[in-house]
Amino acid sequence: ENKQTQLESTFNFKTYMVEKANSVNQALNAAVSLRDPLKIHESMRYSLLAGGKRVRPMLCIAACELVGGQESTAMPAACAVEMIHTMSLMHDDLPCMDNDDLRRGKPTNHKVFGEDVAVLAGDALLAFSFEHVATETKAVSSERIVRVIGELAKCIGAEGLVAGQVVDICSEGISDVGLEHLEFIHVHKTAALLEGSVVLGAILGGANDEEVEKLRKFARCIGLLFQVVDDILDVTKSSQELGKTAGKDLVADKTTYPKLIGIEKSREFAAKLNKEAQDQLSGFDQKKAAPLIALANYIAYRDN
Amino acid sequence: SPSVSIQFDLKTYWMTLIAEINQKLDEAIPIQYPQQIYEAMRYSVLAKGAKRAPPVMCVAACELFGGNRLAAFPTACALEMVHAASLIHDDLPCMDNDPFRRGQPSNHTIFGVDMAILAGDALFPLGFQHIVSHTPSNLVPELQLLRVIAEIARAVGSTGMAAGQFVDLEGGPNAVEFVQEKKYGEMGECSAVCGGLLADATDGEIQRLRRYGRAVGVLYQVVDDVLEAKTKTDNKEEEKRKKGKSYVEKYGVEKAIEVAEDLKAKAKKELDGFENYGERVLPLYSFVDYAAGRGFSVADA
Repeated sequence: ENKQTQLESTFNFKTYMVEKANSVNQALNAAVSLRDPLKIHESMRYSLLAGGKRVRPMLCIAACELVGGQESTAMPAACAVEMIHTMSLMHDDLPCMDNDDLRRGKPTNHKVFGEDVAVLAGDALLAFSFEHVATETKAVSSERIVRVIGELAKCIGAEGLVAGQVVDICSEGISDVGLEHLEFIHVHKTAALLEGSVVLGAILGGANDEEVEKLRKFARCIGLLFQVVDDILDVTKSSQELGKTAGKDLVADKTTYPKLIGIEKSREFAAKLNKEAQDQLSGFDQKKAAPLIALANYIAYRDN
Repeated sequence: SPSVSIQFDLKTYWMTLIAEINQKLDEAIPIQYPQQIYEAMRYSVLAKGAKRAPPVMCVAACELFGGNRLAAFPTACALEMVHAASLIHDDLPCMDNDPFRRGQPSNHTIFGVDMAILAGDALFPLGFQHIVSHTPSNLVPELQLLRVIAEIARAVGSTGMAAGQFVDLEGGPNAVEFVQEKKYGEMGECSAVCGGLLADATDGEIQRLRRYGRAVGVLYQVVDDVLEAKTKTDNKEEEKRKKGKSYVEKYGVEKAIEVAEDLKAKAKKELDGFENYGERVLPLYSFVDYAAGRGFSVADA
């Protein structure tokens, strides 16, 4: 019986991940239904429901629950961040951008539906994410929903996600890209949306300003952590393990953390970011913080 | 005659508004790091010769119900931003493959296809961000703001303008009508409705604005097609590309003029329902005449 109690008291992250991913997948499936014109909605669903890890929605829900909110309150925003993540990948994979044929182990959207549809379906997902948050968020004041929309817009636009993509594109082929420059790319290209995911959840869950800022810092750290680990995995894993083209960064002569500071130093940096992230959570109820702590560790120690 | 004075009034009304909107758009997209993307965004949003029909209609609809112009400006700018985003993406080589827009090189012709895609991707959220950060909170309750945001998102989305562009590319039965409604009518509808929402119009009034704005949007495009047919372009490639896609190509000039007359009457009939607002409805009436007759050229003013 003692053993039973002990099992129940330790947080089971695997179960948590599976449960949250299931409810997010259900919500995404319901949110983007098959409508006319069919092909454009098929294209949206193809990439959106391709079985990503749903890290962003999970962060959004976990942040909401950490400050005392309900999963259902954060779900529309959780779906929105996944829609935006998906559309940015769809546009990133286009021939005029990264020119990728494979994503999450499947042919990329434009390979299946054509470039024109991939552009349009991406635009449609982007627009729909805002519509979804504005119309489907329940049990929260309009004032908070408006704030959430402002945060979401800011983190994905020219001050956020797009800024990272632009600097990334402009850095290709440049041999002397420094650490600061690389960090700008990652903080914007990857961390901004992760930050947005956490901040959206916190605002919707009723967090005060101090809590929002702590969680924002937490998210920035794990955002950068996510990319440092990605860089490490790109040099150490095969395409099959990753479900995408491995070694792509090296082939494209892209600057990565391992290239700049070596694998060992990169791993040390990752550990430092993980600690800094988790320090932000120390003031919160530790039981409620368990999912975010586990998510940070998951991002740090994942192998694909 | 009264129609001349109305036309003149609209011209003044329009010119004043355009100047204000241009200034606000200029301020809304300051250049910062990374410069390339802001330059690409500004290039299309601040393009010379932009008629600013969506923002003007939004402000006019807001003022119809006694709403403050200041309440409508941020949304008016947002409409122009998301509209520009759609046009940038429509022009891409994998879409309409148009190297020119309003007589100027398209966005991707100047900045490259990758930047053009990202400029569009950045302009959509900037529109929403602009509404949230710039709408005076004492003039518009948050609930109305959410309705405006949802309206714009729906209009540019997978059942709105994106659907129109998709069918424009793929063709199919009734493609011409569908494209007219979705690619062109949607923006007019959205612009009018947003103005009404910002001024807290009733649901019935919003429905009326919906029908009015859609009719004006389609009317504008049908008249465009007619004018284009009358000044037949020598560009064979251009004609080949557009073949069967315009109203005139499919139904001929006469039928198109007939449709334009119907749309004009329909739009004005909707406005008759706003007679209790007196003279404030005049800008929306003259909008119909402008769309139908192109009574003046904005470019030469």
